Order: sequence, then structure tokens, then C-alpha cells
Amino acid sequence: MSATTEPFVHGAYKEGFHDDLKTLRTSRKGASHEVIDYMCDVKGEPDWMRQFRHRSLDIFLTKELPPWLPGLRDEIAYDDITYYASPVEKSANRWEDVPEEIRRTYDKLGIAKEEQKMLGGLGAQIDSEMAYHNIQESLSKKGVVFLSCDEGLKQYPDIFKEHFAKSIPPEDNKFAALNSAFWSGGSFVYIPKGVKCDVPLSVYFRINAEQFGQFERTLIICEDDSFCHYVEGCSAPIYTTNSLHSAVVEIFVKERARCRYTTIQNWSTDVYNLVTKRAFVYKKGVMEWVDGNLGSGRTVKYPSCYMVGEGAHGEILSLASADKNMWQDAGGKLVFYAPNCTGRINSKSISGHGGRSSYRGLVQVSPEATNCRVQVNCDALILDEQSRSDTYPVMEIDGDLATVEHEASVSNVSDEQLFYLMSRGIRKEDAVSMIVNGFIEPIVKELPMEFAVEINRLINLQMEGSVG
Amino acid sequence: MTTGFTQQTVEAIASGEPAWLKSQRLAAWQTFEKLPLPSRRDVEWQRFDIRALNLDKVALAPNRQSPITEKLTALPVDLAKKGIIFCDMATALAKHGDLVKQYLGKSIAPDEPQKFFALHSAFWNTGAFLYVPRNVKAALPLEITYEFSGQSAAGSPRTLIVVEPGAEATLVQKFVGGPPVGSNGTPSVHASGTEVFVKEGGHLHYISMQNFAPNVFDFTLKRAHVDRDAEIDWVIGMFGSSFMRYDIQCAMEGQGGTSFMYGVGVGSGKQQFGQFTRQHHKTGNTISDLMFKNVYRDSAVGNYAGVIKVEKNANGTNAYQANRNLVLSDKVKCDTRPILEIESNQLRCTHGATVGRLDENQLFYLRSRGLTLEQSRQVLIEAFLEPVLARIQVESVRKEFGSLIHSKVVR
Repeated sequence: MSATTEPFVHGAYKEGFHDDLKTLRTSRKGASHEVIDYMCDVKGEPDWMRQFRHRSLDIFLTKELPPWLPGLRDEIAYDDITYYASPVEKSANRWEDVPEEIRRTYDKLGIAKEEQKMLGGLGAQIDSEMAYHNIQESLSKKGVVFLSCDEGLKQYPDIFKEHFAKSIPPEDNKFAALNSAFWSGGSFVYIPKGVKCDVPLSVYFRINAEQFGQFERTLIICEDDSFCHYVEGCSAPIYTTNSLHSAVVEIFVKERARCRYTTIQNWSTDVYNLVTKRAFVYKKGVMEWVDGNLGSGRTVKYPSCYMVGEGAHGEILSLASADKNMWQDAGGKLVFYAPNCTGRINSKSISGHGGRSSYRGLVQVSPEATNCRVQVNCDALILDEQSRSDTYPVMEIDGDLATVEHEASVSNVSDEQLFYLMSRGIRKEDAVSMIVNGFIEPIVKELPMEFAVEINRLINLQMEGSVG
Repeated sequence: MTTGFTQQTVEAIASGEPAWLKSQRLAAWQTFEKLPLPSRRDVEWQRFDIRALNLDKVALAPNRQSPITEKLTALPVDLAKKGIIFCDMATALAKHGDLVKQYLGKSIAPDEPQKFFALHSAFWNTGAFLYVPRNVKAALPLEITYEFSGQSAAGSPRTLIVVEPGAEATLVQKFVGGPPVGSNGTPSVHASGTEVFVKEGGHLHYISMQNFAPNVFDFTLKRAHVDRDAEIDWVIGMFGSSFMRYDIQCAMEGQGGTSFMYGVGVGSGKQQFGQFTRQHHKTGNTISDLMFKNVYRDSAVGNYAGVIKVEKNANGTNAYQANRNLVLSDKVKCDTRPILEIESNQLRCTHGATVGRLDENQLFYLRSRGLTLEQSRQVLIEAFLEPVLARIQVESVRKEFGSLIHSKVVR
């Protein structure tokens, strides 16, 4: 295929607007202990959390980035970022109670409409705080808890403390430490024993402020034999400055439980998206990450499954589309600590208009994890000469009782395929988009209908002008 | 005999050598001095234990008295008449100085930022030179054996291979010997370098076999530059030494170039194997195909890392990379990192890596045919490595590989 002739039109990013919202509370700029005290006072948090935050900030300030991670060293001006800002007083649980101007923002994004159609619960976060959080009565009657993470800490302090930062301690990495110090918002989900929550719980994250850092923290606990599907989406306005999104998601999938976590990440290219996501999977539990990365200037995110109970299964479906000015550094990790576990990573990436996508993955099998089977597949599609694709998988296997397979391929849209479709009277642009849609189909088909439609729309937008 | 990797030693080795070579060595020595010993913090070294290595206690001869003796097959008269040069490096420098100068150090540069590459470039103390003139085809395989002897010694051979346009040759390199079996103490160091230039339309068949005694730390770099329509096929056998780091690299520099890279390794006891391959597609319409197969047993450590790098506009690249590991014991540590870095869009590039064990069903089948468990295992292991052995075109060498593998696999 020939080189790009038309630049990618930013106007196509329809979520790129910003609204002038009145900020009720905002901290000083910069990552300081002072900001932490301010946040703790505003939130009225217990002492252990205050200490935890201060400790985490110290870790953040001293911790180095890992040696294998390129860039990011001097790119982010941590001192110019606002770490806490809230345009809302408190989280409402009726849509009517959400301040009107914020409701208008979400209406433009079409969020509330989805709730009635398909969701068991909906949350909406704007900047640092949750503006709205609600769950269907039928689910709350079964004991399902779906709150903002801050409310979770207040209402369920024991369960919260038992799990919080247990799978991702602040020492884990620099950005986990940053989140641990300044976390605000996110969801707290608790599914009691045996409860199947068969309609998705969904949260939409929106950054509206400029030069802002969003640090949502999500904690999901699926007790024995339960099921839950959690879906998150996100977007941000286009400014000329950069914002930072650094989330931490911790999931505990107890015995025989199953959890599916779906992300449609569509930040504007101003946003650095540096996220740590990890699930502990206990005996015969099943964890599935469906991770779609379509936006953000630089994404660093490797959802991971730690198989800690016998017979656990971890699955990561990763879809990344790197357009102009984007670097999708995505992938996944499967770590095996128990016998008879299985895992699979299926990654598909597309790079076009000079975008770069990197698959980075880890498969680690410890000696006690006997009889484990792992399969990794990565496919990459490069659309033009300016774009780049990398594959960096690491497999570390101790012992002889595991079977690990990794396959990857990188290719372009072949002339034969294009020619065939065009000889059938299909325009070149449509042909390319058919081929691309076919390429990502195995992952898109795992998404709820509405999200699948959205993904296809976003990919097709990115495809515009990619055929010269 | 002095000890230590010092500037005096470099100068002593270089005395009597041409000035250009001496300055190369001194530049490499400066690189060597600048770089720290690798530690476990380096991603490439984190799975290895090289604490036994003690460069200060390794003896280094201050002249060309290398602990390695090279034996070269005698060049048949008709080949010599056609202009083929095949001799040890000292002779080459004396008789064909200008030719050697044109190529030596042009691939393995003195300033390459790797401690042991620099050690080799500064202190190499033996070697061989193969030169095949334009359009000359050497039908017979030529063979170099580097025999390592002595304890706590450093041996460092440099091999330079130049295949001119339209020429063809087969070279077999063997690395054998080492400290007497059962000797403890400071391990010997082997740091070797092989530079290969295959010119337009040339063809080199290259086979290398390393079967050092234990207590040798082997750091080896082999790099080939493949020109337009040229071809190299490699078979690399890795069997001996207590630690080895093999860097096998090809640079595809002209359209239509091809590189077939095959490797076979059998690690047992506490052997540590590092295999680092690089398929660098600088130009388009080039092919590289790599398959490294390893068998690890006992407490062996195996670490494979391979990069396929496709430069911008290297359109029409076709690259493949496979790393297959068979693990026979629960104490083995086996890692694999197959890496792709692609900046071009008209290409086909795939890789695959597996770590697995013997198939229970296949074992069962063989046993049901009357083979013992041990025999069945041997059959499966040897069958696993067979596709690599099949690439060896010199029958005697293929048999040697086969019996070596057999002896390492039999319990």
C-alpha cells in the first residue's frame, strides 16, 4: 500500500471537546505530601490510609522506571500536574441529582442512555471524583456492591482493607506508587458467594481539566462461584498540554468464580495512560481481560493474571490500534504459581499513520506450577511505511512440567487481498477496512454488542485516509 | 607469563603487528576498561551466574603463545592455485596484510559496547583467515580446529572469512579442549570472534561446533554481512563449556540476500547457555530464517533472546525465527525472548517460541512397540533435533554432531 496522503484528522475524535465546569475543589499543582494531606482531609479518610498515601509518595519519588521501558524518563512534567480536582460535591445515585452541566457532558458522550439498555450498574467519574454511581435494585438485593472506591472504604472498611494493595503494593512500580499516593475515585465491586451478575457493571472515566492527573483505583472481589462482567470506557478533551492517567485495578477471583474485565480506552493523544492491572486467580477461577486500546499518546499497560490456585485459568485479549502520534505499549502477563493452570494471550495490533504499537508480554512459570499450559499469539498489521510494530515477549520457565507456546506475526494488508476485493467492485478504502475488521474480529466478538459497534466505529475513523 | 588484562599485555601482543592493528587493539582495550562486568541487573544477564569468573586470575600469554592451537586442513593444490587463501592469522598478516586490513575489525568494531566483545578485540591471540576469490568454488569443505589447553587460561581466536562475488565455500569450525577434566579453580576464558563477508552472489556454508571441557567460560560473537544475492547458511552446535554466551548475527545488506541460521544445543549438569541472535534487515527483499533447537536436562540454564530488526523501507523482507526448547528436568531454567522490531510495512515476519517436555503419548506409543522408557526418550530427543542436523551438508560432521548429541542425551 502506498504512503499516507491525508493526515489523520483530529476532528474525527468526537470526544475531544471540553466543557467549562466549575471546579469545586482543587489541590495545588505538583506531587507533594501537602496535597496528600489536603486530599485526606477533604475525603475524611482513616489514618492508615493517610499513612499509606504518604509512604507511597516516598516510594514514587525514589523509584526508578524499569530498565526495559523506553522513554518516559523526562517526558512527564510531574510538577505541572494537578493531582486532585473535583467539579462535584458527592457521588449521586440518581441521574437527576448529578449537576446539570456534568450531565450535559455525559449526554454528549451518550453515557446515560446505555444504562437503561444494557447495564446492571453505571458509574461516571469526572476528573478526581465519581459524579454518579448506581446499581439495579435486583442486583443490590442479592448483595452485589457497586460503589465508588472511596465509598467502598467508608462503607466496607474491613473487606476493603483486607484486599486493598494486596495484589499491587505501591512498591510494585513507579506508577502504582503514584496511584497509591493520590488515588481517588474508581469502583469498589463486591460479588457475594454464588451470585451471578449477568448484566455488565460499567464505569465511564472522563478527564475534563487541563494538565490533570486522574488516578482512579478499582477493587473487584468475586467471592466463590460468583460471576461478574465489568466494563470501563474513557475519554478526554484535546488540549495542547499533557495529562496523566494512572490507574490501579486489583481483582480477586476466588474459587470457581469468573470475572471478565473489558476496557475500551479512548483517551485523547494528550493523555499518558500508565496503568497497572492485576488479578489474583484462585482455585479453578477464571479471569478474562479484554483490553482495547484505541487512544492516548502513550499507553503502558499489561493486564496480568497471577494463577495462585490450582486449576486457575487466565485469559488476555488485547487489541491495540496506534494511529498518528500514538504509541500503544500493551500486552499482558501470565504468572503461574499453582499446578494445572492454563493461560492464553491473544493480541492483535494495528499501526497506521506513523503510529507505533508494541506488544510486551511475560509468561512466568515457577517450579511448583507443574502441568501448566500457556499459549500466546500476537498478530500485528502495519498499514504504511511511517508506522512501526514491535514484539517483546519474555518467557521464563523453571522446571519441565509446563508447555509454553508463543507465535507472532507481522504483516501488511496484502495486495492480493486488496485486489480480490477491488475486483469485486469494492472501493479500496472499504476493502482495507474490511480486511482490518476481519483481522480484529476474534477479539471484537468477545465484546458486548454496543462496545463492538463502538470499536468498529473508532477503528474505521482511524482508517480514514490511510489509503492513498 | 603475566596475569591480567592490562594495556601492557595488549601492547605485548601487538608488538610486531602492523600499526593499524595495534591501534584497533588499544581502542578495544579502552572500551574494555570503560565497561563494567555484566551484573544480574542487566536484562540479558539476569538468569546467569557468572560469579565463578575471575578475570584477574586468568593467565594471559604476553605474546602469540596462545593456549589455543589451531589446526587447519591442508589446502589442496588446485584450490591454492585458484587463489584461495586458507591459513592461520599470523601468516595471513605477514603475507596478505593489505587484504586482511581491508576487512579485519570492519565488522567486529573495537568500540562495540559489550565487555567481552571488547576483550576479544583487544586480546585475540590466534586465528585463521579464509579468502575465496571471485567466482571460485571450493568443492571440499575446509576445516579449522581450535584446540584449547591449559588451566585458568585465556584463549581468543579471531576468524576472518571473505567470500568474493560469485564464490562458494564450506567452512567447518570446531572449538574443543579446555582444562583437564576434573580441574577446579578459576575457569578458563574463551572469547572468540568470527567476521564473515559474503559478497554479491557469493555463498558460504558455515558449520560451527563447540564442545569444550567444563570449567570454560565461552563468549563468542559471529557476525555475517550478506551482500546482494549472496547466501549464508549456518549450523551452530553448542554442547560444551560450563557457561557460554553465543551471539549470532547477520546483517542483510543487499537485495536478494539470504541467511539460514540453524542452531542446536544440548545442556546438562549445571551448564549455562545463552544464545543471542540478531537478524538485521538493513535492505529490502532479503530473507532470513532462523531455527534454534535446544535440549536441557539436569540443572541446566538456557536463555534464548533473538531479535528480528527490519529497518525503515526494507520492504519485501521475509523473516522467520523459531526457538524450540525441550526441557527434561524440573530443575532446568529455560527462558526465551523472541523480539520483533519492525519499521517497514511491506513484509512478512513471524516468530515462534516454545518450551515443552516430551510428549507422553509419543513415549507411550514407542514403549508399546517394545522400546524401554530410556530408549524411547532418546529416540524422541534425537528426532526433535534432527531437523537442524539435516541442514549439515558435510556428512562426517553431521555424524559427529549425531554421536555428540547421543552421548549427551544418554543417561
